[in-house]
Amino acid sequence: MTLAIPHNQRLPLAIAALGFLFLGLFLLYPLFNVFGASLLDPDGERLTFANYVKVLGRPFYRGAIANTLGIGIAATVITTLLAVPLAFALARLPIPGKGALLALAATPLVLPSFVSAYAIVLLLGRSGIVTQWLQSWGIGFGSIYGGGGIVLVYVLTLYPYVLLPTLAAFKSVDVSMEEAAQGLGSSPGRTVRTVTLPIVLPAVLAGALLVFIETLENFGVPFVLAEDLPIFAVEAFKLFIGETAPNPASAGVLGVLLILTTTLVLLVQRRFLSKRRFATNARKTPPLLRIGTGLRIAATAYCWLIVLLALVPFFAIVVLSFMEFRGPVLHPNFSLANFGFLFDRALRPLGNTLLFASLAALLATLVGVPVGYVVTRWRNGVATVLDVVATLPFAVAGTVLAIGFVVSFNAGFLVLTGGPLILVLAYTVRKIPFAVRSASAIVHQIDPSLEEASISLGRSPLQTLLRIVVPLMLGGIVSGIVLTWVTVASELSATVVLYSGPWRTLTVVMFQSLEGGGAGIATAAASTLIVVTLVPIALLHRLVRRYELA
Amino acid sequence: MAGIVISGVSRTFGTVRAVDNVDLEVEEGEFFTLLGPSGCGKTTLLRMIAGFCELDSGEIRFGEKRIDRLPAHTRDIGMVFQNYAVFPNLTVDGNVAYGLKARRLPAAEIGRKVADALALVRLDGYGERWPHQLSGGQLQRVAIARALAIHPQVLLFDEPLSNLDARLRVSMRGEIRDLQKALGITAIYVTHDQEEAMAVSDRIALMQNGKLEQVGAPADIYRHPTSRFAAEFMGTTNILQGGALRPEALRLAADAPAAWPRLAGTVERVEMLGPITRADIRLADGTMLRMATLDAPQLGLAAGDAVALAYDPARLTVLP
Ligand SMILES: Nc1ncnc2c1ncn2[C@@H]1O[C@H](COP(=O)(O)OP(=O)(O)O)[C@@H](O)[C@H]1O
Ligand SMILES: [Mg+2]
Repeated sequence: MTLAIPHNQRLPLAIAALGFLFLGLFLLYPLFNVFGASLLDPDGERLTFANYVKVLGRPFYRGAIANTLGIGIAATVITTLLAVPLAFALARLPIPGKGALLALAATPLVLPSFVSAYAIVLLLGRSGIVTQWLQSWGIGFGSIYGGGGIVLVYVLTLYPYVLLPTLAAFKSVDVSMEEAAQGLGSSPGRTVRTVTLPIVLPAVLAGALLVFIETLENFGVPFVLAEDLPIFAVEAFKLFIGETAPNPASAGVLGVLLILTTTLVLLVQRRFLSKRRFATNARKTPPLLRIGTGLRIAATAYCWLIVLLALVPFFAIVVLSFMEFRGPVLHPNFSLANFGFLFDRALRPLGNTLLFASLAALLATLVGVPVGYVVTRWRNGVATVLDVVATLPFAVAGTVLAIGFVVSFNAGFLVLTGGPLILVLAYTVRKIPFAVRSASAIVHQIDPSLEEASISLGRSPLQTLLRIVVPLMLGGIVSGIVLTWVTVASELSATVVLYSGPWRTLTVVMFQSLEGGGAGIATAAASTLIVVTLVPIALLHRLVRRYELA
Repeated sequence: MAGIVISGVSRTFGTVRAVDNVDLEVEEGEFFTLLGPSGCGKTTLLRMIAGFCELDSGEIRFGEKRIDRLPAHTRDIGMVFQNYAVFPNLTVDGNVAYGLKARRLPAAEIGRKVADALALVRLDGYGERWPHQLSGGQLQRVAIARALAIHPQVLLFDEPLSNLDARLRVSMRGEIRDLQKALGITAIYVTHDQEEAMAVSDRIALMQNGKLEQVGAPADIYRHPTSRFAAEFMGTTNILQGGALRPEALRLAADAPAAWPRLAGTVERVEMLGPITRADIRLADGTMLRMATLDAPQLGLAAGDAVALAYDPARLTVLP
């Protein structure tokens, strides 16, 4: 007898094998090399902890760690304090324009945060428009460079991470629990504090930890705003670019420390989510609370203020991109010159952005959907490991993954540096967790007996996947592709490490003109990015609407 | 069409022996039911036949052909699920044609077979409809038509009626039985409802804890249970002198033949259910007996009455 694999395990096993192959080659292998780099001497020959001692021995890098953690914690706390009341108001209070508020509140998730940071500089920076206007009235304010400005941008761009899950949690609270508490004599305020808040707490924490991870990994915002303040991801980038030895030991050390920190946070988050399950099975969403006019006006103002404030920087960039810049100096005349400069030289960066985003979105879907299917349907050890590996990119900053890519694919069996494919692959790997999560969420909703029915009617498991599962997932797959596409289009942290020669993207153009002081081109690139992001999202919205109406 | 032979089949999940060394032979064309309480292993056994659950040991044959190692999609089985499992992305026609297309039949033949199958389940004219436009009963008809359309060797039903309301359950089970008999396809039917099992089956296998408790014709198991579990699962049972006695084997002494043994007791509770009346009667030694009798004009039972009962000694089944 042969050691045959049972027939109904063959398809998941094949998918898992391909998933492991892809993630092994383009995630684990580069990460392994980053670890290796941090543990080898500068010539790459001997194993040593000297690099860690050297980096951690320097106050500058210890400072970078402290700054990054401090800024992350501050941003996370402030974001949570602002977003939880916002979520509560949107879930339970009578606020006018809720639909619009919700749509607007989700947009910062897809808009590039470094664009927001750049807008803040143009408005409130040393020679910013608002700064100068205020100065002409004799009013001054503190510097937005450094920690304060970074925290501000994080709060404005990351609050949806807390808002959206918390809102969903507030809506899923079973009203009968609140009624029970009030029946026992609890006041409405006390009921919210003692019954409702504990129920939504896991969602709040999950969102808050995501915010924290995002702040640790973010490269663009500190790059624009930190100035002399050392920040983890930026210093890793600078070290890597500056390191001349064949082994990027110091950059490796920072990379490893960053990965360990984010992994730790991710583990804490999983712990929290698995231990505390208050999921209540509400059949209907809880009713709106009745409040007085004064409170209602205050709540409305609060909601609109936060949501609009977060979008002001993006709006400002679009407006500014149509004004005349002479060098870094703005002249308030309407002009298309910025776009002229941007596109005259070459349409190529825009083309690259569109091409890479499309390829990466397709590839991430091609890997993510089958892997998401397997980790959902196939509950065993292999599936769990696959799930963990596929989630790992969450914990890896783009900068660090990119360093791993360069170290891994600049020589040897697979040379990718200098070409476009390395960017596409790095984007794909970064988006795999999202693709797998969203695919898995859809598969959860598909009744497994549909697949068994198809198989018993004579379709093989693979045909069943293609003919039944994929069509049923289609709506979700399309929105996943669009969301992946728009977030890849504005990817910066891996891009700046990996781009080369003709394969510059829009984000690189913007990044380079930031360094060179070409504010006009930077604003034009930024507003093009905003359009490139928002148009597909708007189309998707319309598509979904039409689908629902049909 | 083929009979099914199951020999020495077992399956363990962790520490649970879901199916424990089961031997069964289902005759060609037979309507065979797996009956038992929830968790006794009925679904697991059915899914082994369908190919969705591996065997730890044993083998399964359709006629002469061993099938337990074949991929599920090559087993030629029609399966009907509890939750219908009608493909929501296909029309009724698309659902019924699904298995025929998998068999690469010519389009004209598929069209004909789809129409025939829909006619069998009395859904003519529903072909263009989408599943979300149908009721639960209609969805289950689509699922049955879809399974019948491929003319499978074997039909498997896993609690197909448990999501339907009580009235529909009764009429659908009759239809399923009639269709199966008309087509002559060997069928295995899973249910936890003994009344449903007795109504449709040629034979029943009563299961408990993964094992077969008793196999036989419905009347046979009902009248001659071989264990207390079988006796009680098949219907209300009085335990009297170490034997099982059905409620309808008890009568008021006045209406009973003189040869029947007599018992004396007090009526504790009476339920008038229309055609039958049920009464709980406590004997002098404390034993509670449940009696059922057809309604009659002179029947006057009331709580608190002292009554004399008699039972048919031939219907006292001695339990091992
Ligand atoms: N995939 C599975 N994994 C673990 N345990 C299972 C699985 N399927 C069934 N079981 C267990 O096997 C036993 C029999 O289950 P099942 O065949 O579904 O019973 P039934 O259909 O008679 O209600 C139960 O104890 C159930 O919990
Ligand atoms: Mg079952």
